[in-house]
Amino acid sequence: MDTLNILIMGFISIVIVNNLVFTKFLGICPYLGVSGRIDMAFGMGMAVTFVVTLSGTLTWMIDHWVLMKLGLEVTRYVCFILVIAGAVQLVEMYVRKFFPSLYESFGIFLPLITTNCAILGLCLFINLWEIDNLLEAVVLSFGAGIGFTMAICIMAGIRENLNLADVPDCLKGAPITLITAGILALAFMGFAGMIR
Amino acid sequence: MNLADIYQLWQGAWPAGVTMLALGSSFAVALLIASEKLKVKVDPKIEQIYEALPHLDCGACGFAGCSSYARAVLEKPELIGKCAPGGPETSGKIAEILSLQISDSGVLKRPIVHCRAHDDDKSCYGKYQGIPTCTAANVLPNVQACKFGCLGFGDCCYACKFDALGIVDGLATIDYEKCTGCGACSKACPRNLIEMIPFSYENMMTVACSSKEAGKTTRAMCKVGCIGCGICGKQTEQFRVEDNLARLDYEKYQPTEQTETALNKCPTGVIIYVGKTAPAAKQPTEKAVSA
Repeated sequence: MDTLNILIMGFISIVIVNNLVFTKFLGICPYLGVSGRIDMAFGMGMAVTFVVTLSGTLTWMIDHWVLMKLGLEVTRYVCFILVIAGAVQLVEMYVRKFFPSLYESFGIFLPLITTNCAILGLCLFINLWEIDNLLEAVVLSFGAGIGFTMAICIMAGIRENLNLADVPDCLKGAPITLITAGILALAFMGFAGMIR
Repeated sequence: MNLADIYQLWQGAWPAGVTMLALGSSFAVALLIASEKLKVKVDPKIEQIYEALPHLDCGACGFAGCSSYARAVLEKPELIGKCAPGGPETSGKIAEILSLQISDSGVLKRPIVHCRAHDDDKSCYGKYQGIPTCTAANVLPNVQACKFGCLGFGDCCYACKFDALGIVDGLATIDYEKCTGCGACSKACPRNLIEMIPFSYENMMTVACSSKEAGKTTRAMCKVGCIGCGICGKQTEQFRVEDNLARLDYEKYQPTEQTETALNKCPTGVIIYVGKTAPAAKQPTEKAVSA
């Protein structure tokens, strides 16, 4: 029961309170770049969720079972990048083989996830928060992906409506998007400190 | 730094190097196995067709992009020739890849705007302040006096992926240097002002008006509208006047002396040249304006 409680709290924490986009400002590039349309945003979110879950789990395993055993924590960054790049490649091949239509709709986003800092960030945060339980690491990674999807979908929804709004000429395009992102982050600051 | 230091450094560094090497190679092996197991067979013809296409992803063919069109063409060769920007040249290349014969009826199609009224030429009953798109404005009956003319909010410009259309003084104007003939603009215009016509010559003559109102009404609301006087029709049979509106038969069009006379005699100057090196349209004669 206690474990379940920790898992649920961890999940809610990473989705809402410690959302990677809103509180850590990670993964801003796709968050601003791919949030033009809500269906694309959702696709990107799903792809990130998939990759982040996989790489979060893999990096935890490598970190705990290889690097820490050998006292090689300094090589964490390099290893993690290696894992993420490999995982993305693997996912790309898998999706291409078994879900060709999904592969078509992902297009360029799938390889782009390799350089999504939210994923590397999450892998490092898992280490920073001293998560020493594989299950917890998996749940946190999955939650991070869901949190990212939520953030990017909220943003895309707002931007779709912004298209119809009467935005002053000087704020059209990037400025209003950045302002929106700022206000959104501010709104999510309200959750700060509620859990862990 | 002496030899002992370097040795110490080496002592500290080699496990890291070996671990990285081991990790890297295990990933390499995993990916290698995966790439063999998950190999997707792509017909080399698809790649060849894709290479022959213009890579513009304009969607004129009715598919999402060049790559999906390439796949569709391979399966259904009758779809050949749907690529508007590529034109007959691309169709020829694809036919060569698929070893097909195609007839070369390939005259490139380009859009023309059947209106030439700039802001100064139009008359309006009031100022429209609604949603600034042609589609929205077109719903209102009296957005401008002419029910047929260009609204100038630029739906066609948004539809154009090649930046070939611009609103110049309230009139959609095509830059034929940039135009690829994909036809997106003609679909976008709510008033169907933009028509795709075969450009058999570099510059085509056209009647740049769509007004089917009686001549008097047209003249009252637009300085450069076609009044259906029929002077052009008397010069050559290439022009036809129907419903108070002159039309040029583009299929039969040939630049002759008669068409030139028709252009010069047109009282409102609505017959103009369009194209890459089209001469500037003449202004309506004084007589026509004062009449």
